[in-house]
Amino acid sequence: MMENRKHDSSPIVKIENLHLHYYTRRGIYKALNGVNLEIRRGEVLGVAGESGCGKSTLGRAIMGIIPRNAAIVEGKILVDGVDYLKPLREYFKKAKKFKPTKNQDLLKKVNEEMSKIRGQKISMVFQEPMTTLNPLLTVGYQISEVLFYHNPGLLASRRLARARATKEDTKNIVKILKEEGEGERLRQYLKNRNIMGLEDQIISIWRRKELHDLKKEQMILELCCEPISSMARGYLEQIEKTNSLPKFSKLPIVGRIVKRELLKEAFKKSAEFLGLLGIPDPDKVVYMYPHELSGGQRQRIVITTAMINNPNLVILDEPTSALDVTIQAQILELVKELKEKINSTYMFISHDLSVLSEVSDRIAIMYAGQVVEVGPKSAIFNSPKHPYTQMLMEAIPTIEAHELKGIKGEVPDMRNPPKGCMFYPRCPYAMPICKEKRPPLFKVGEDHYVACYLYGGEKK
Amino acid sequence: MLLFIPTLIGLTVIVFTLLHIGGTTKLLAMYLSPRLTGAARAHVIAELDAKFHLNQPVYVQYFYWLIQILEGNWGITNTPLYSGPVTQAIAIFFPNTLILTIFAAIIIWLVSIPLGVHTAVNRDKPSDNAIRVASLTFYAMPWYLIGVVLIIIFAVYFRILPIAGTVNPSLVVGLSWYHNGISYPTHILLIDALLHGDFKVAWNAFLHLIMPSVTLSLGVMAALIRLMRGTMLETMDQDFVNFARAKGVPEKVVINLHAKNNALLPVVTNFGYLVAGLLGGVVVIEDVFSYPGIGMWLTSAMLNNDMGGIMGGTLLFGLILVTTSLFLDILYAKIDPRIRY
Repeated sequence: MMENRKHDSSPIVKIENLHLHYYTRRGIYKALNGVNLEIRRGEVLGVAGESGCGKSTLGRAIMGIIPRNAAIVEGKILVDGVDYLKPLREYFKKAKKFKPTKNQDLLKKVNEEMSKIRGQKISMVFQEPMTTLNPLLTVGYQISEVLFYHNPGLLASRRLARARATKEDTKNIVKILKEEGEGERLRQYLKNRNIMGLEDQIISIWRRKELHDLKKEQMILELCCEPISSMARGYLEQIEKTNSLPKFSKLPIVGRIVKRELLKEAFKKSAEFLGLLGIPDPDKVVYMYPHELSGGQRQRIVITTAMINNPNLVILDEPTSALDVTIQAQILELVKELKEKINSTYMFISHDLSVLSEVSDRIAIMYAGQVVEVGPKSAIFNSPKHPYTQMLMEAIPTIEAHELKGIKGEVPDMRNPPKGCMFYPRCPYAMPICKEKRPPLFKVGEDHYVACYLYGGEKK
Repeated sequence: MLLFIPTLIGLTVIVFTLLHIGGTTKLLAMYLSPRLTGAARAHVIAELDAKFHLNQPVYVQYFYWLIQILEGNWGITNTPLYSGPVTQAIAIFFPNTLILTIFAAIIIWLVSIPLGVHTAVNRDKPSDNAIRVASLTFYAMPWYLIGVVLIIIFAVYFRILPIAGTVNPSLVVGLSWYHNGISYPTHILLIDALLHGDFKVAWNAFLHLIMPSVTLSLGVMAALIRLMRGTMLETMDQDFVNFARAKGVPEKVVINLHAKNNALLPVVTNFGYLVAGLLGGVVVIEDVFSYPGIGMWLTSAMLNNDMGGIMGGTLLFGLILVTTSLFLDILYAKIDPRIRY
């Protein structure tokens, strides 16, 4: 799987000329006006811009989580080559008058279609950890949901492995671990004994640093001989094989038992993952409610939920903006650590350029629903080309005394944006052509593109 | 939670004040035979003065009265429906009202919560609009009008439901557990019939319950549907609902588990008070359907200037409201983990 990802050079997400408008009572807000962007496999793409420039809308549009009054006017988002929002776009083209109720029906279908990849292939971390978690459910359950709906096979195999393993097995495993650590021989042994489900359980115990070796050994020795009722066993084996949930409504009582087993297992897996993230007392935390945790803890839970299935793409929508500075640093550390551990792609949305400089490989600057400049981090920071980017850089506060320059003027009214370049009214270098035509992206350097006529020679 | 003790004290003070606005003469009139004259009359008055402590200051009288109430002496009632101790009247009439209210509450809950969710999920669609218009119509209609319309349709025109009362009198003739319109041991005909295994009577009693309880529930249902729709729409915009979608949880689970349960919190509170408030509606409905419950007794007490009945009924309604709110607080703490007492 991992090898595949590296060789596949097609971008994981490709956004082509995306126009998204919100239909409200006070008019049509043109939130996205021709976004062109790609997210490449394995990279961290930072997206920056003022508030209201469409960063979050873009992130949500990739996930397909848009309100019913959002119309896809033009353009597409290809997630792994699939255009999920196609029905919405076709509806807008056909309809004489945009009706949110009709859009909602189609959105329901899009939701259904996308729920298969959400949480599994792509996932998202929201801005506000205080409101992202359901206050009535334990955090463990909220993490478990992702596993339960997308990875029931893993849960079933973990559970079955504990039932299949004998005392002899666990003793042998401890011996192997002591001799060679968690290497190929361990895998081979587990494979031969048909207890592969034990692997991540063993490793998560073995890697814990705060425990004494004897305690760890004891814990591993306990991973065996856990009986399951014979009724549930058959269904669990079926789930293990197909990695999909049976229709629980058709098997009322057995269904409940199976469901409970799977959820219990998911709680265990969640606690293991939280332990890996360095959250103290993970076994207790999973049974807590969100209000019992601090903001930073909750954001860790949200990130765990987004990451637990090893998704190919994680969209982080201002994950640190609502937190205070020390927690912000910890969360950034966590994201960096996860980037090392889990090989996936990240889209990091933030209005804070200093945060982006910490984590990202490439940066896209957005202004008024358009990507105005995109390039490698070093190019954006060392030689910003677009006048807006340049002014943005000057507006970053630093410790050394230097005059902070704000950007004069305001973001244009998105109900009635300028016909030409969006930045034209505020731009000190404005030219006549800027008023008439919207600039396309021009190549200005290695992998570095700018939407500005100042550099209008070589077209992308 | 402990607020209910001061509430009860406030309630009794108000009831007691009402009793005194009526004046002591009224109280005396209830115990004094008009045929008594002269010394005998003066003697009885002196006796009653001593009994009710009428020569003491009012606040002292309040405590004497309170002790009487706590001891179970709620005074006497004298109406065409029933004459005797107030507590006895309550024991006879209240069970009927209770089962009516419970039926109505069940109907309200089972209908309005799913409809509220449906309207919120299918916002602005024809079904949403139809339900909203219908519920608003019922909300605007007075209770007795709905009752009369239902009687005309189902009892007079279609003749499938009985017009009035609790049971067809011919069915209960000669039953060992039924005397003078009162069934034993619970005084609730439906339950007593089931206890005695008389399913014919039970079915008949059930048919008699349908129309009053539906009438009672329609108006309240409308309010609850709108409330549920509103809170549901609000919750569906919340981050955690979107996050559940971002997790790839099926839409059905998103709505029924994540959105609905959170939207229910404010609805539960209001539901409790609405059901407690149904008792007010009961007064009208029982009159329309000649249903021998607390409302009918209270109406006749009011028409007959029966102080004992009015006071007893007021105190009872107050007690019900206070107990409901206590019960709701406990329930609320049960469903919302954020609330701890």
